[in-house]
Amino acid sequence: MQPNIDDILRYLRVRGEAGDLRGRVETAAAELAERVRPAWVYRAFPLERTADGVVLAGSGVTLTGSLAAKMLKDCDAAALLCCTLGLAFERRLRALERRDMGEAVILDACGSAWVESGCDMAEDEIAARFAPRYLTDRFSPGYGDLPLSLQPAVLAALDAERRLGIHLSDSFLMTPSKSVTAVIGIADTPQPARVRGCGYCSMKQNCEYRKGGITCAV
Amino acid sequence: MPSKPIDFSRIRILIGAMGTVLQRRGLAPGAIPDLLNLTDPELVKSIFREYIDAGSDILYTNTFGTNARKLEKTGRSVREVVTAAVRVAREAAEGTDTLVALDIGPLGELLEPMGTLPFEQAYELFREVAAAGAEAGADLAVIETMTDLYETKAALLAVRENTDLPVLVTMSFEDGGRTFTGCTVASMARTLTGLGADAIGLNCSLGPDKLAPLLRELCENTPLPVVAKPNAGLPDPLDGHYDMDPETFADVLAPLAEAGVGLFGGCCGAGPEYIRLIAERLKGRTPAERAFRRESFVCTPVRPLPLTGVRVIGERINPTGKKRLQQALLENDLDYILDVAVAQEDAGADILDVNVGYPGVNEVEMLPRVVKALQGTVSLPLMLDSSNAAALEAGLRVYNGKAAVNSVNGDAEVLARVLPIVKKYGAAVVGLTLDKSGVPQTAEQRFAIAERILNAALSFGIPREDVWIDCLTLTVSAQQEQARETLNALRRVREELGLQTVLGVSNVSFGLPNRPLVTRTFLVEALHAGLTLPILNPNQTDLLDAVAAFRVLSGEDEASRAYIERFAGWEPPKAGAGVSPAKPQAPAQTAALTLDDAIIRGLKTEAAALAREVLKQEDELSVVDGHLIPALDKVGEGYESGRVFLPQLLSAAQAAQAVFEIIREKAANAGTVSVKKGMLLVATVRGDIHDIGKNIVKTVLENYGYDVLDLGRDVEPARIVGAVREKGIRLVGLSALMTTTLPAMEETVALLRRLPDPPKVFVGGAVVTPAYAERIGADYYARDAKASVEVAREILG
Repeated sequence: MQPNIDDILRYLRVRGEAGDLRGRVETAAAELAERVRPAWVYRAFPLERTADGVVLAGSGVTLTGSLAAKMLKDCDAAALLCCTLGLAFERRLRALERRDMGEAVILDACGSAWVESGCDMAEDEIAARFAPRYLTDRFSPGYGDLPLSLQPAVLAALDAERRLGIHLSDSFLMTPSKSVTAVIGIADTPQPARVRGCGYCSMKQNCEYRKGGITCAV
Repeated sequence: MPSKPIDFSRIRILIGAMGTVLQRRGLAPGAIPDLLNLTDPELVKSIFREYIDAGSDILYTNTFGTNARKLEKTGRSVREVVTAAVRVAREAAEGTDTLVALDIGPLGELLEPMGTLPFEQAYELFREVAAAGAEAGADLAVIETMTDLYETKAALLAVRENTDLPVLVTMSFEDGGRTFTGCTVASMARTLTGLGADAIGLNCSLGPDKLAPLLRELCENTPLPVVAKPNAGLPDPLDGHYDMDPETFADVLAPLAEAGVGLFGGCCGAGPEYIRLIAERLKGRTPAERAFRRESFVCTPVRPLPLTGVRVIGERINPTGKKRLQQALLENDLDYILDVAVAQEDAGADILDVNVGYPGVNEVEMLPRVVKALQGTVSLPLMLDSSNAAALEAGLRVYNGKAAVNSVNGDAEVLARVLPIVKKYGAAVVGLTLDKSGVPQTAEQRFAIAERILNAALSFGIPREDVWIDCLTLTVSAQQEQARETLNALRRVREELGLQTVLGVSNVSFGLPNRPLVTRTFLVEALHAGLTLPILNPNQTDLLDAVAAFRVLSGEDEASRAYIERFAGWEPPKAGAGVSPAKPQAPAQTAALTLDDAIIRGLKTEAAALAREVLKQEDELSVVDGHLIPALDKVGEGYESGRVFLPQLLSAAQAAQAVFEIIREKAANAGTVSVKKGMLLVATVRGDIHDIGKNIVKTVLENYGYDVLDLGRDVEPARIVGAVREKGIRLVGLSALMTTTLPAMEETVALLRRLPDPPKVFVGGAVVTPAYAERIGADYYARDAKASVEVAREILG
């Protein structure tokens, strides 16, 4: 698997003809995919519904808000997922920033696409484990009304500091920077796509893509 | 109090899991296990008793997460928790020979440069824990589950400097043989051995099957007792249960005794039933003989460098005779120094010499500052070069890995002053074959000094593989017979003492025409005489070519692979080009290319070459205003109209940067002040640790000629205000990436507003909007780097 080139070009806000940029992006993406592999951990928990929200029993995580309620409507269990490119990516990016900022910006965009690919791979693995059951779209703290302040509990439930080397700042930023946490519901019936689209995005008001009349395709 | 010595002559059994056992007994998710020492000591004690019963010789206190940072919100002090924890373990061990180890785990926060926690603060956090443990009467300390060698060093120094406790250090590695921060087993082993750990090893992250090859590698890289404390396999994603049963665990772990492992225990998932089986098989046996590989070695965490062939030391970070570097040091311009380092790394240097000694520069402050900046940027091991012992100590203290020190000499006072520091930090040391009476004129005398230095080092406990000898290069045009003497002394040091040899080669040719030829010839002769560590300018390609050829002839470059790769595109010089030293040819494409085009197309090398040409006809200001800025503006217009994209804008900016560097170099050599358009400050606000956006703005602004003071990321508002006042800054750029850090931006702007003569402020970043900028009282909203240039133009001209 390789990062999606069109996604990367979109992250770089390339509109129309990419010219020689496409070649630079393809080279950078291929090299990244060869040198840095996404790593992930996940764990599934049974769900309990309380007045506070949806509780992942035994995890210490309670998902508040309407997004989680809607997403997990048909589910009796949910998996927490954390995927990261690790500090190896961070080191490459910093080294490149010092040498060639243009290439660094390309690598940064490749990293964003690559960690999403990592989530896709993890999701495939989870789907296989739970077959023939069905998965919902994955959604993350910071989407819609699911608060970013869930991050400490999600990372603790996954033991992500020890198992993936994820550190969280007081302002809920993860290091390594190319890291994603997500919730994926598990149900007995096929799940419709629910979170895709700008309507659910917390960046809706000031999204650069939307200003430019395009979307980030999530 | 004097601590009990640990008997490493027999296999010792450690404790198994604590956290996962407590969870099995009902510890709530998210609860802090360390507090149980106070709230439920009987529970902790009962687990310790089970381990003693199973055969544990050493208990680890239940203090894995005990430090001021992690306890902050609990209302409990470190001293309180540690005292209770040691007491609980002590009571459990009463009436047995079982020892109590103070357990020290990671701080839970990343250190600089990847994170934001300074080394000194990490040390302080560990110091508090270590001192409390010693006071509470622990028998030893263990530092465990570390993934960052730098953090481990802070912890180890804290224990060694504040207690008399013996200390075991174990780190956690991933399947690929590296920790999360990229540290290799060899780097870990050699660094911690040098820093004076009593035993080292691996714990957590993997089961014994996956840990076994890493433990074998560890045994080859240290003479110290080795610890194995693996997990019971891997956790099941569905229920978190570790998948390896006690029988299998013992079956896989026990054979490691044959490789020389001397201390055995278990980590996550490996409870008392696991320890019992291991103890039954191994307890009290004599550890097997080990195959420790004694070799010269320096490293950073990510770059282990065994000195098993020719290793090139880059000499360029040394202000002697380099006006631009002198200026950079006086102006505290670390960016320039980092560029010099990067260029040497890219050219093929293996080690970088770092000398910051210059009148007006406080070396004791500057050396550690430069060391920290370098290890955030290049991965090469460093050789700290100073005659100031305090500066050396300050530099070695913050160095992440095993460094070298340049230098001592045969003078007894110098040896007595520097060698204890070298020993304490486990560094290698260069000994110059001279003493109070100067440089001896014969090989015989220099060899005698080399022996004296070696003996002094040995007497301080520095192993001989860490002693490197420099037989000193003199100028052949002044003292022609001395080249021979140097080479003869070098050959003897290598052959008779078996030591690493260091030699700066460039001075030999001083005063002669075609210096490169003489230098290179001398280099090749020295390599054949046994030189292993040439100090040279790695940007001088012909010298590295010679080293590459030598590595083929000596057999070091197996199957000539590196040589073939280096010369893959090589073509023989064209007939008629002549054999005499031809002037270096300008790159072919520059013929048709103008300086403006080179900048627009982002061709860095070509732009620099063309700038040199243009500067012969035009002055500096006209190069900036007549070529550089118009070219950048053209790229900027293309960017705004959507024909040019960010990577291309930045490549152009960096080509402009190369031109600026030529101008600065010229100004420094002429002793004049360079073209600068005024200073502004940029920073990413407190709490925000991702700074690529701010770095983009900085790159572009610098290449419009602005002097950019970059305070970095996660910057406290007060620090920004302080810098503004100190430097009289008129324009401040702030970046924030997350909604959670916007309040810090607002706070910073408010503080700046309160200054008597407030600077103008522009703000930007992913979540910042024009409306928000206005609301918090910023003067400008900068959509992107290009917009920030417009702001700078308006304010600074």
